[in-house]
Formats: sequence, structure tokens, C-alpha cells
Amino acid sequence: MKHSRLLPLLLLALLFTVTSCEKDDPDVNEEELITTLTYTLSPVGGGADVVMTFRDLDGDGGDAPVITGGTLDAGVQYNGAITLLNEAESPAENITEEVEGEDLEHQFFYETSVAGLTVAYADMDADGNPTGLATTVSATTVGSGTLKVTLRHEPNKSGEGVADGNITNAGGETDIEVTFDVNVE
Amino acid sequence: MLSFSLTGIIAQDCNITVKGTVTDEVTGVPLEVVNLYLEESPDVGTMTDESGAFEISGLCPGHYHLVLSHIGCETQLIHLTIEEDTQLELTMDHSSHVLDNVVVVGSSDAASTTQSQSISNLKILESGSENLSNILEGLSGVNTLKNGNGIAKPVVHGLYGNRITILNNGIAQSGQQWGNDHSPEIDPLVANSLKVIKGVGSLEYPGSNLGSVILVEPKKIGKEPHLHGRVNYFFESNGWGNGVNVQLQQYTPAIAWKINGTLKKSGDRKTPDYYLNNTGSQEGNIALQLEKSFSEKWFSELYFSSFNTELGVLRGGHISNLTDLELAFERDVPYFTEDKFSYAIDAPKQRVSHQLLKLNSKYFIKPDQHLQFTFAGQVNNRKEFDIRRSGRSEIPALSLLQFTYFLEGKYQAELSNDIGIRTGLQFNMIDNTNNPETGILPLIPDYFAYESGAYLLMTKKKNDWLFELGGRYDNILQNAVTVSSGANPEILRYNNIYHNFSASTGIRYQASENLDIAYNIGYASRNPAVNELYSGGLHQGVSGIEEGDPDLSAEYSLKTTFSLNGKIKEKLFFESLFYYQRFSDYIFLNPTGETRLTIRGAFPVFQYEQTDATIFGLDLMGRYQFSEVVGLKMIYSFIKGKDIENDIALINMPANNLTAELGFAFPKPIPAGKRKLENINIEITDKYVFRQNNFEIDQDFLPPPAAYNLLGMKLAADMQFKNIRTHYFISIENMLNTRYREYLNRQRYYADDLGINIRLGVNFRF
Repeated sequence: MKHSRLLPLLLLALLFTVTSCEKDDPDVNEEELITTLTYTLSPVGGGADVVMTFRDLDGDGGDAPVITGGTLDAGVQYNGAITLLNEAESPAENITEEVEGEDLEHQFFYETSVAGLTVAYADMDADGNPTGLATTVSATTVGSGTLKVTLRHEPNKSGEGVADGNITNAGGETDIEVTFDVNVE
Repeated sequence: MLSFSLTGIIAQDCNITVKGTVTDEVTGVPLEVVNLYLEESPDVGTMTDESGAFEISGLCPGHYHLVLSHIGCETQLIHLTIEEDTQLELTMDHSSHVLDNVVVVGSSDAASTTQSQSISNLKILESGSENLSNILEGLSGVNTLKNGNGIAKPVVHGLYGNRITILNNGIAQSGQQWGNDHSPEIDPLVANSLKVIKGVGSLEYPGSNLGSVILVEPKKIGKEPHLHGRVNYFFESNGWGNGVNVQLQQYTPAIAWKINGTLKKSGDRKTPDYYLNNTGSQEGNIALQLEKSFSEKWFSELYFSSFNTELGVLRGGHISNLTDLELAFERDVPYFTEDKFSYAIDAPKQRVSHQLLKLNSKYFIKPDQHLQFTFAGQVNNRKEFDIRRSGRSEIPALSLLQFTYFLEGKYQAELSNDIGIRTGLQFNMIDNTNNPETGILPLIPDYFAYESGAYLLMTKKKNDWLFELGGRYDNILQNAVTVSSGANPEILRYNNIYHNFSASTGIRYQASENLDIAYNIGYASRNPAVNELYSGGLHQGVSGIEEGDPDLSAEYSLKTTFSLNGKIKEKLFFESLFYYQRFSDYIFLNPTGETRLTIRGAFPVFQYEQTDATIFGLDLMGRYQFSEVVGLKMIYSFIKGKDIENDIALINMPANNLTAELGFAFPKPIPAGKRKLENINIEITDKYVFRQNNFEIDQDFLPPPAAYNLLGMKLAADMQFKNIRTHYFISIENMLNTRYREYLNRQRYYADDLGINIRLGVNFRF
């Protein structure tokens, strides 16, 4: 047989296949994760903050998220602030700054089922459109329901009603969508 | 395919006569109106008469290239050294092109009991820049699973992905086959034929043996001492696509070589009403083929191909969570639709490259016995880019690198008593790694897979009967490493061993010259693939959380096919294939109906599960030749898939469809100025796709779309310039600019399918 020339090549190929039998440990870091959204409502005239949080430390799978709602006082005005963290990293990474840095491409929306609860934007991007990291919140009547906070990436900020907080024409992609139980007393 | 024999008679100077006949390679029927020329002096030419005979006289001794052209056949070029009066017996592959099929009644090479169908070189060329899957869709029983037009994978008899083997020049294509949004990384313009083997007869190939096999085959280099080649240019109006393909080849006694390169670019595609923004694509491929005969008995081949593509994904089809998905469903026009055309490809997009190197040596022990050794290596690199924050869109969200090494030894013999034997040993090793650059936990794990296989196939011919029997065993070792989910991720290692057994048997009976009957039955088992076992996480491409099940067992399948092919009076040709496939422990991605709450909102959860299932169907093809000029072809495909354990429909089964093709072929050349237009061919095609009514509403986000009808046409002709043969074509797809959505195109959730497309092409052969 005249295959002697091929033989070394075949052996070489075999060698390739037997050199390593176990894969190396994979990387377990997830960089882009947002684990925690905190919506802090500070009463304008002073008093204790109302802190609502959505925390899912292990990301998409695994354990279920822990959601804490809040109780507001009727007739009080609050300054609302959103904080985003990746607490899977140590120390926790502040993602709020990432959104601030790309405020033209992001907008928060607030939708509620509680009658008399209003959330107004209190910040602006370079184009004069709201981002929604800072808000003004007030509740007029006693009641309870939900507050849904949505962060859209690349929304159409000039869409009809979008600057007023109406999500209907916003489009874009949802980066965050969390729902809190809210009581107004 | 072409063959000829030379018989010398008397030597004369410049008064040599070349006589001969042209017959159909397959049926042996003489071919009338075949145009013959000498390329060196195109004025010297003739045409065959009713008996297929021709005569060219007044030739001087020397080297010539004889051009044969005939309607429906690819033009042939043969090199002749003429020293004396010569008698040629030429054949052309006519009937198989008429039928678009290889298995034709009376075929001498019907060496198998499984049905196969093929697409000719000419058809591939006239498909311009279409991808492999979209071209294959022209065959009955073949569909495509798509995510937009550019990302398409073939579906044969309802099976795809892990269950289908695609052989690129004899080597099983290795990549991320599991993904429904992953196209096969193959340039169809490198192939001279595409063939689909339906049924379980293909046990000599590694990979899953329970589905069909798709063969992508470059032709062997002809013994032609001069440099020859072809240049193809094509244009597409939808997407303003341009493409060029160049092929050069030459045979020398030392070595025969062929090189093939393709460049394609296309921009945003368009529906009848709006642009599909970010659906452009670009591709650059090259293939090199070298063949050498070391002796009368020893032939070697080296093949290298490189495939590189970048594919845009519809921006408005990139959806985050269930809320977004539901909003997208309600829209007539997808989000991010702009009234402006662009060639730009931004995220979301895929960037994929695939390299293949094959070395193959064949050694003939005796003329009817040979040994064959093959080594092949593949590198597949897939990067998928999503819309991400903080400039991370330039960092892939999925980045996989896969190396595959394949070794094979084969023995093939034709023994006495018309017994044929094929046997072989194969070893395949896959090394799959997630590149850590993504910063995202991988959807599928890093793994090694070692696959060792052995097979034995036997055929026996007796009079008009062909018997076939084969068996195959595969041993699969998987070594996978995954990361568990939870607050403290752990690294989990899995080592699996599987044994896959496959067997098939069949019988073919040539009842008469006009009727051919075949039956084939095959049993196969397939081990669960790594993605089915260990997937875990959000699959952005399908807007869902996919979870594997490490406890899955192998699936088993029994498939039977029955085919009846024939013709009546050379007027009516028909092919029919009935198939029934029964699965035990069929592995599928089940929508659990649950949603999982994440900070990005709720996502549907899909889990890999097992059930018992059946798939059965029917492929019918008939052609009626009204006259020399006019013929009508009809193709019908029916398929039904059922989960018999739960008594519900199987998801993602192709809808039934019916195609009618009215063809006009003008065999006689028409003068056009100083030259002649030859082989004028007009085809009018109408394809009707039924609505998929066999579905479960809770398996999918949206019910299947309505039935639709697409009208198309094609006009093609040839013209000979001195040494250059040219072929022109214009085709129009979706002529009526019909709005439609296709069930197996994932983009249907967000957008309409493509509107009108005009394709132009020119092909130079020299």
C-alpha cells in the first residue's frame, strides 16, 4: 500500500483529539445583568422614604425574584428616584450610570392601577425629553393596586404622548419591566 | 454528465468528418435538435436529426472543443483531438433535468431503494444569490425553517436541525445545527448538484440517521487540458443585491485543479408595503479542489472551502419579553421600520465563518474493489450580536467556536453474483467552546463529543430486482460542562455514553421500462444532543427561556417509504413517495405554558421533553408533455405530524403545498443579429401554500397565517460568442406583490414576507 504518506497526517489528527479530555471550567460571570431595581420615594416635606425593590440576584433562572411594594400617604408629594444595581458582582455595580450615560436611548414608564396616583417626569435628556430616572409622585385618594415600571431601550421618544409618559407609541425594547403592589393610606 | 468513445477510421488532411449520435444518458432515447458547434469556429456546427445523429465535415486535424447544447440541459463542452474521421457516441443528461430528478425510470444507476431528488447545476446558477435552503425548497417534501429570508435551514419530511445530515463534499457539516435560526454554512454555487436522499438508506453517513440526507456535491474535474471557467453575475431588485461567482479549472497530468469564489451583498429586503430594516447580508466564499492520480490505482483529492457571512436580523423582530411580543403582534408594520433603504448591517446580526479541509485518497485493489481514506477538519465560528447597552452591541451575545475532526476508512466492492458491499469505520470528534468575550452565561455548554461508527451495507441485484440491507452502530461519548443557575453558580460536569443502532432494508422492482416500485424500511436511534440535555437560559432568537433536561434518553424512529415512479408513452411522467415515520421518545421543545418573571418582565418557558410521535406524508410530482414545446409540471406535498402520546399536533410541521409549472421550451435557435439565441426557455410557476390547520393554539404565540398563492416566471436563453458561451436569465418572484406570511418563517410574528423580486443573471463559460 502506498499510503505511507498519509499516515503521519492521520496520526497527527488523532493526536489532536486525545490531547485534552475535559473542557476547562467556563466563565461564570454575567456582566450585563441587572439584579436589582430600587424605586425610592422621598416625601417632599421630609419624613421616611418609601422604598420599593425588585431583586433577583441569580438572574433569569434559578430562584424567584423578591419583590417589595410600598405604602404611600394620600395628599403627600414624593420625589422618586430609580437605582439599578448588579449585585451579583462584588462590590455591586451601579447600572443607573449606564442608563444616565445613554439617556437619549432610554426612558422609564410608570403605569398604575391606583386611582389618583400620578407619576410625572422630573428629568430631561439633551433633547429635552424625559428619561424618567427622577420623578415626582403624588397620591390623592386612598386605595390600592399596582405600579408597573418599564425601561425601554431605543424608544421613539418623539412618538405621540411618549414624552408625557404614555408607553403606547414608544416601541423599542424592554430592558426592565417590574410590577409593585402599592397601597395609598 | 457526458461520455463518448472514439473510433478511428481513415486519416485525411482538412477533410475529416466527425459523425455521431447523441442519446439521453439515462433512458438511451436519441435526442433530437441538439446543437453542436466547434468552439474554435462557431460557424462550423450542426444539429441532430430525429435519430439523434449528426455530422460535421471539412475539419483539419487538431484540437477542438465541441459544444453541445440542448434545451433543458446544461451546455456541455468536450475536448477532442482529431486526426482522422471519427465516430462519436455522446450522451446528455436530458430526462433527469426535465424531471428535476435523478431517479428516473430505466435509470441504470438506481443502486438504492431510497428515493432521492436533485437540483441541477443550471438551476443552482439560475437561483443567483439564494442560500442553500431556499434553493432546496424547490423539491417536493422539502421546506425551510426561516428567520427572515437570509436565515434559513432545510426541513425534509418535517425534520430539521439535529435530525438532518448535510454532507458538504462527503463531509457531515458540523456547526451549531441545533439552532432554529442557524443556516447551514455552505455556498450552493460551489456545488454542481444538490441532492436530497429521503428515507433511511443513508447509513454510510455519520450523523443522525433517522432523517434525510442532503448532499452538496462539487463535480470531479474533467480531463480537459485547457484552462476553462465560468463567471456568473446576478442582480436582485429586492434588496438591491449583487453577486459574482468565478470558477476556473484545468487538468494537467501532474494535477487537476479547480477554484471557485463567490461574493454577494444585498441590502434591506422589502415586503409589498415597507422595508424590512436591517435585513441585509453579505457573503464571501472560496473553495479549492485539487485532484491527483498517483497511479492507475491511486487517486487523491484535497478540498478546502471557506464560507464567511454576515446576516442582519430584522430590527423590529428583536423582541425582549412577552409584553413586547404581544405589542409587536398587534402592529401592521414592525417597530423601527424606516422608509429608507440601506446596505448597513447593525445589531441584531449574525457573523458566521466556516472552514473545511478534506483530504481523500482512493486506492483500487481491483477495478471493482476499492479502499478510501478520508480526513476532514472543520472550524465553525458563530457570533450573534444583540442590541445591548453601553456600546456592548459590538460585543457578541453568543460566540461559539467549534472544531471538528473526522477520520474515515471505507471499503467498497462489487462481488460476483451482483452483490455489492460497502463498509467503513468512522471517527468524529467535536470540540465546542463558548468564547468568554460575551459576558453572558452561555445558552449551550462547552463540550467534547467523540463519535465512533461502523457500518455495513449490502446490495444484491437479480434480474429486475434490487435488494438492500444495511446496519450501523455508533458509540457516542459526551463530556459537557455547565454552570448551574441559582445564587451560587456551581460548575457541573457530565459524562455520557450512548449506543446508537440503525438498520435498514429495502427492495426495488423494475416492473417494466415504464414503471419502477421501491419500498424501504429503516430503524434508527439518536442520542440526545448537548443542547437538548443542557440548554439553559434566555434564547433571544426565540424570545423564550429554554431549558434542557439532563435525563433525556435516546429517541428511536422507524421510517418506511414507498415510491412509485413511471411514465406513460413518453408524455406523462410521474413520481410518488409515501412515507410514514413513528418515533418513540421523540425529543422536542415543549412550550410549558408557564412564564418566568425576570427583571426584564415575564418570558415563556420552553422545556426539552420526550413523547411518542408520528409523521406521515406524501410527495407527488407529475409532468405532462403536451408537445415538444409545452409541458406542465405539478408538485404536491402533504405532511402531517402528531404527538400520539398526548393526541395533539406536532409544532413546526410544514403546511401542505401545490405547485404548477407551465414550461415552454423552444429547441430551435432564433436568429438575433449575427448570432443566435438558443435554448429559449420560459417557465410560469404558481405555488399555493395551504394554511397549516393541524396545530395547537397553546403551542405557539400566534395561530398559523392564512393560505397564500405566489406567481412567478422565468425566461432563459443561451448565446454563443466566439469562444464564450453565454447564458442569460430573468426571473420574477412574487409577481403580483402578494402580501403573505409563511408559517415556518419566524419573522411572520412581526412582518410580512418578501414582495416582488426581479432577478437577472448572466453566465459566461469559456
